[in-house]
Amino acid sequence: MAKIRKILVANRGEIALRVMRTCQELGIGTVAVFSEADRSAPHVRMADEAYCVGPAPSRESYLVQQKILEVARTSGADAIHPGYGFLSENASFVRSCEKAGITFIGPPASAMDAMGEKTRARANMTLAGVPVVPGSTKSFPSHHEARDFAQTIGFPIMLKAAGGGGGKGMRRIDRMEDFDSAFRGAKSEALNAFGNDAVYIEKYLEKPHHVEIQIFADTHGTCVHLNERECSVQRRHQKVVEETPSPILTPQMREAMGQVAIKAAKAVNYVGAGTVEFLVDVHRNFYFLEMNTRLQVEHPVTEWVTGLDLVAWQIRVAEGARLPFDRGLKPRGHALEVRIYAEDPATNFMPSPGKITFLRVPGGPSVRDDSGVYPGYTVPNFYDPMISKLSVWAPTRPEAIARMKRALKEYVIKGITTNVRYLSAIMEHPEFVSGDYDTGFLPRNHEALLGKSDSSLEALSALASVVHAAARDERARRAHASPSPAAGTSAWRLYGRKPPRRS
Amino acid sequence: MKTLRYFARLKGSSEPVTVDLEPLGNSRFALTLHQRRREVDVLALEGGTLSLLIEGRSFSVEIEERGEELLVETGSRLSSWDVADERRARLRPSAASFESQGKQVILAPMPGKIVKLLVKLGDEVTQGQGLVVVEAMKMENELKSPKAGKVTEVHAQEGSAVEINAKLLVVE
Repeated sequence: MAKIRKILVANRGEIALRVMRTCQELGIGTVAVFSEADRSAPHVRMADEAYCVGPAPSRESYLVQQKILEVARTSGADAIHPGYGFLSENASFVRSCEKAGITFIGPPASAMDAMGEKTRARANMTLAGVPVVPGSTKSFPSHHEARDFAQTIGFPIMLKAAGGGGGKGMRRIDRMEDFDSAFRGAKSEALNAFGNDAVYIEKYLEKPHHVEIQIFADTHGTCVHLNERECSVQRRHQKVVEETPSPILTPQMREAMGQVAIKAAKAVNYVGAGTVEFLVDVHRNFYFLEMNTRLQVEHPVTEWVTGLDLVAWQIRVAEGARLPFDRGLKPRGHALEVRIYAEDPATNFMPSPGKITFLRVPGGPSVRDDSGVYPGYTVPNFYDPMISKLSVWAPTRPEAIARMKRALKEYVIKGITTNVRYLSAIMEHPEFVSGDYDTGFLPRNHEALLGKSDSSLEALSALASVVHAAARDERARRAHASPSPAAGTSAWRLYGRKPPRRS
Repeated sequence: MKTLRYFARLKGSSEPVTVDLEPLGNSRFALTLHQRRREVDVLALEGGTLSLLIEGRSFSVEIEERGEELLVETGSRLSSWDVADERRARLRPSAASFESQGKQVILAPMPGKIVKLLVKLGDEVTQGQGLVVVEAMKMENELKSPKAGKVTEVHAQEGSAVEINAKLLVVE
């Protein structure tokens, strides 16, 4: 296969920037696509070329295959990187790329077919001898059949979208009374996110850990695993914090899960970067959940502990290169990632789109911020509310937690409400610190994590509010007052503002 | 310069605290809260960052104005304050509460789209019952009734876009 010279990144937000950064480092040209709502998005400026592909709703822009391919053709891109979400797990898009003679940076369509439809993946994995969570082997054509199945298998259950992952179209249901509303919501969300409203049912495991294995395969038959990521800090089935190594895995478990993941990938002739997700129960049994046939949001933690650039290796493998190792890499140190969302934890994580009036991003040793925003940017309400991923590395887990706490303290975002303080509270929580936390951790500790009880800093907060109000009032007075010499003296030293005009 | 008296009310509490602020010149102030006087060196940075040096200790405080409200972040704590000087405090009407009257107005908590109306005019609803589904940022959010009662007004229309704080429904 030939060298790739120009890549169209069929995505937006932080992941578009992430991919383009590697392209730049490799000397590969970049093409951005954007919706009408994203003219001001940063990926448009980072790219060498940028083309509008339609109106704000993703179904009319980022998800329209013909438009993306047309831009690839007119711009002369020889490859498309899909990022995650959008068209990244759409096998028909992969086939369209093949037909158009454009390299799709990802697995072959056949592997996506085998894994993309979650119900088919479960059947394939059972055949390959991989343990799966008990549940339905197909999606349900009617509401009534779904209800009947739920009744038979018994609550609690999980409703899941057959067409894709990422928490979209996913609901936990504890009682039949909640079934109708959850079923309707899951179907409609699944249709929106994946263009496919099929949902299926799995038995809900009590206190499960969500642990996933990163695998990487080249076109020459080498398939390795790059260790795990622990992703049990979740709310509404969206991951919030990820880390590697998982605090609950023994080296034996890591190897056993890694081998099963490789087996799963080989069963579908996988190529490129992929992730095999497992649920681990209280007895440390593990079950195949699904395979994500794309780059994961949380890939930076794996990059931290392996020293690899996964996007660079996706590109090289797409060019036909061999992986430089035939066995996995031992993790070095510990890495943590938190997802920063434009949402308010105190009001049931209500999205909070709007204008970012002020932004200060943390720095210092071993801190990485993968952001999709900038000061003055208005976060649109059409897309995912994740605005940034903050990740850190340190030699040990306690040091990594300390570093993350420090970095979060430096992170300042004004104008919109974010979960930054909530993330800090997670880093402080004894259950998280202990390392043995399951997917119920966030819902169980929600109130405590909102952190309403800390009154030690109230005096400081009161003083600061008064100082700020006094300065504000003073400015207002000056703005209204005539520029007489009497108004010329100020008690305030304002750094970075124009000095008050004196006459 | 003369001492200014300020009243700072923490959101959720009914009684404000009193803070006296005495300019000492050269960006220094004496602040008195709960009979405790502290001398503070103040530097205000662009973007709403306050650097306070209080008796040798350094504090960096982030402040964001949201209308009259001041969001104050100190370390890991965020609080919302309503601060007024003596003159403004006198002008301010006593806090009125709509809740006591029993009428509940359901407002759009964010800009988005009305995906589904789950009730119609005149429906009796129970507390916690879903009223309307609003979609924003690819997530569907079901707004629930804050009380048991009757739907007396419906402004939301399925399929239509709404701005933040748009009136959707009234439950009485």
